[in-house]
Amino acid sequence: MPKVKKKRMGFVIDMTPLVDITFLLLTFFMFTAKFKSDAESEQKFVIERPKVTADTSKVPDKDLAIIKIAVDSVTTDTLYYYELLNEADRNEVWSLTKSVSEEMKQKAQLEVSLESLNELVRNTKMIRTETVFAIDADKRLRFQYVWDAMDILRKNSATVFNYVTEKKGS
Amino acid sequence: MAGGGALKAERSKRGKASKRKKMKRVSYHLDMTPLVDITFLLLTFFMFTTTMATPQVMEMSIPPEVVDQVEVKESELLQLFVREDNKIFYAIGNEDPQEIELNKIQALAEVENLREGKRNRLITALKPSNDADYGIVVNILDELNMAEVLITAEISKEFDEEGNPKKRERRFTIAQMSEEELEKIKEL
Repeated sequence: MPKVKKKRMGFVIDMTPLVDITFLLLTFFMFTAKFKSDAESEQKFVIERPKVTADTSKVPDKDLAIIKIAVDSVTTDTLYYYELLNEADRNEVWSLTKSVSEEMKQKAQLEVSLESLNELVRNTKMIRTETVFAIDADKRLRFQYVWDAMDILRKNSATVFNYVTEKKGS
Repeated sequence: MAGGGALKAERSKRGKASKRKKMKRVSYHLDMTPLVDITFLLLTFFMFTTTMATPQVMEMSIPPEVVDQVEVKESELLQLFVREDNKIFYAIGNEDPQEIELNKIQALAEVENLREGKRNRLITALKPSNDADYGIVVNILDELNMAEVLITAEISKEFDEEGNPKKRERRFTIAQMSEEELEKIKEL
């Protein structure tokens, strides 16, 4: 009796639908992708933003100055950070500000004390008066910290500013 | 491949006798694996680097530093206090403060802002304690913002002497709590 020949099963998977859907997703993500700013990729803390009902106003991305108030994940100190989105302005403001060390000025985002924050806000206002200010603070913070930042803004006549928030339910 | 083989066999059978020119059917397979590989790689890259929920903003305006104090009628003042344990209290005029839940603030603001006599004149003052959470303060602001929708709609239904719909003038301020007020709500 001859040996039963083992039938070799060669099969081909039609990958076309897979490729279709993958390309679709790829293009979607490519177009919606918004990369983190220099400062965001540098920072070592996470800000848990307060959640509010949906609003149509998005963060303006031009000439924005952000005061970040965050709790350091290691030392649990509350620290102020200052970020300027406009790069040209940033260089000017950084060089104008004297209370920040040279080493620190290499960064896109400065860790500042309240005094130097005041100086930075003043210089920012001087360089470009229409700069929009935003306070990005952690929701677990004591209000005192935010109040101090608001006071600085008030002193520098930036009485209209924004709180950075997150949409509820996301 | 299979198709090609059959074609060849057919041709040899017919030999040179066949005058009809047959189009050669070319069946080919494109190996899509590298394409899929790279596409998946890019897809995962974009999926992980993209930030979906872009933060939104809530606009705030604070009164500038003024030297001269503005006199306000006490009866036209609605004060909201936030105690250090994040409990919220409200007081109308110089009444004693009462506790209020966060989700009732919207209704309170709507009723008080539309009350006869104080319509469109009520001043809302938010006074958080320094030790209250920042999150709760923003939540209260959010509630007050939501109340604005109804208030603005109601007020624009009325007309002034010239026949134009009335404009909502929002009067809101945020301030620090005074010692006195702190004492007042301490025991509640």
